[in-house]
Amino acid sequence: MFAYTIRRFLTLIPMILIMTFLIFLGMDLTPGDAVSFMASPEAMANMSQAQLAQLRESLGLNDPFFMRYLTWLGGVLHGDFGYSLTSGVPIKDIVLSRIPATLELSVAALLISTFLGTILGLVSAVRKGRPVDHILTITGMIGVSIPEFFLGLVALLLFAINLNWFPIGGRLRPEYTVYWDHMKNLILPALVLGVTMTAGVMRYTRSSMLDTINKDYIKTARSKGLPEWRINLVHGFRVALTPVVVLIGFRLPILIGGSVVIEQIFQWPGVGNEFLGAVRSQNYPLVMMIALFSVFAVLIASFIIDLLTAALDPRVQLD
Amino acid sequence: MDSDVLVRVKNLQTFFYQNGRCNKAVNGVSFDIKRGKTLCVVGESGCGKSVTASSIMQLLPELSRIEKGSEITYFSEKGEIRIDQQKRNGKVMRSLRGSEFAMVFQDPMTSLNPVYTIGYQLAENLQYHTPLNRKERKKRSVGLLRDMGIPLPEERVDEYPHQFSGGMRQRAMIAMAMACNPKVLIADEPTTALDVTIQAQVFDLIMKLKKDRNTAIMLITHDMGVVSELADDVVVMYMGNVVEAGTLEDVFRSPSHPYTVALLRSIPILGKGRDQDINPIRGVTPDPYDRPSGCQFAPRCDFFKEGVCDKCMPDATSLSKTHSVRCWKFVGGSGYGN
Repeated sequence: MFAYTIRRFLTLIPMILIMTFLIFLGMDLTPGDAVSFMASPEAMANMSQAQLAQLRESLGLNDPFFMRYLTWLGGVLHGDFGYSLTSGVPIKDIVLSRIPATLELSVAALLISTFLGTILGLVSAVRKGRPVDHILTITGMIGVSIPEFFLGLVALLLFAINLNWFPIGGRLRPEYTVYWDHMKNLILPALVLGVTMTAGVMRYTRSSMLDTINKDYIKTARSKGLPEWRINLVHGFRVALTPVVVLIGFRLPILIGGSVVIEQIFQWPGVGNEFLGAVRSQNYPLVMMIALFSVFAVLIASFIIDLLTAALDPRVQLD
Repeated sequence: MDSDVLVRVKNLQTFFYQNGRCNKAVNGVSFDIKRGKTLCVVGESGCGKSVTASSIMQLLPELSRIEKGSEITYFSEKGEIRIDQQKRNGKVMRSLRGSEFAMVFQDPMTSLNPVYTIGYQLAENLQYHTPLNRKERKKRSVGLLRDMGIPLPEERVDEYPHQFSGGMRQRAMIAMAMACNPKVLIADEPTTALDVTIQAQVFDLIMKLKKDRNTAIMLITHDMGVVSELADDVVVMYMGNVVEAGTLEDVFRSPSHPYTVALLRSIPILGKGRDQDINPIRGVTPDPYDRPSGCQFAPRCDFFKEGVCDKCMPDATSLSKTHSVRCWKFVGGSGYGN
């Protein structure tokens, strides 16, 4: 297991290098001067053309492309992500200030969708063809097809405006003193995001579970006289879970990237919201950096998925 | 009541319902499994051998049903149990499976759960049918593997099925089946997925267990060679019916049903060379949804007689105390003309 972990971890390095290269290439191709996001705007405003040229030279901007990439990569590795074009704030500070909100929302939604999705999927598979299965199937279909912005708006209208149970949007307010005040802001977006993700997990769990309970070893388990719950949970669900873990794992990147739509609707001050703003104002460095974070999240997620798959399925490590 | 009889199957009918059609997979099968004896069930693919076995274990797929009028009686130490009347996965069936009845399946590659160790899957059986605690179960599992001739059982007990070879897996399956000393071991083509040398080893093992533990064995196979080696009693099935039944002697020395005769004639003899005459049975098995109206074998039978064989399926005729056959040839006054 240890050797496998190390081996798998080492494969991350070339992938990260390739991704950073592509992102740097993207940034290089975008309009605007590189100086503008390597030096802060305040400093730039007080400079003459000659000074700027000198700055370019001293910053190494006239170097060959590959050299510049290495310099930039060195900066990134040291936590220097450049500056936002619009506000002049270091990108690192912007992203760091947004990540807690995004993490909070995403983790809540991920937990909701994982628990609801796997349990309902399991119930649906075990009760295949019964009323419960039909109801869950129809709900699942609706859930998969309803876009999250629509569900978000309906939820806002119903629970925040008409029923007035929850605040309309935002995350923190100065007058909040107890944690519950804050929770009230979280519940609605987390539920909407969670429920939209639940449908997919549920359908996937159901089909994976149905696939598993038709396997020969389920018949073997039954021939040993085991009770049905044990056959379904210990022999069926445990095996059926592996592909579901992969599906859930690939949702981990929203932990960093944030859900653009939901964050926008609920005015949630997360990374997704910032991303949308950056795209609107053509703030390329910021867009690219958020993309880099997302890429990083995807790579880490696939790393975690591989470890989990190996833990769940003893056949994996040998391959 | 014959005290030798352990399981009596009488007029078993198991039908499958799918897409609004009914497949009479097993249609009126009767036989006895005798205490400590080996019963071989032979027949070609799709003749209902496996369905019969699954019916005894109540391990049928969802869309199938044991019909009214069928009787499967288990003569246990505590009295008779009518298996056909039990709830499919109910308490009685669960307590019988794994402890009194055990089953070994065709393909050991797929019949073990890939994510649990052999030891875990073995101990599971013991957990539900014996009062042993965790430590004792582990010890017993190791002992069982040793009994099955698996080398280094202390180490192999903690390995996963994919670390076992095919033959070893089947041994592990048999260990699992024998864990609680069952009265009946149903082996559904246990060697079909294994190569020939391993086949012999697995059969040796099964026969040794039969002798040591007095386990009755119901062996499903389509290998006549295996039947002649191992069987005490033989049941020949065709299209969901038992066409001939008797002791090994009865069926192999004086095969009576044209299907049995044809089946025995179609076996190539090892050592006779490539020029020997092999007589395959002509035609193919009929579509189970479009069965012949009379005797199921009639369309392929060399002794087919119009007006007799295509009317209806004959009842079983006794040729001796142990030997019976379902063929119009042996029914007196049937118009067959004997």
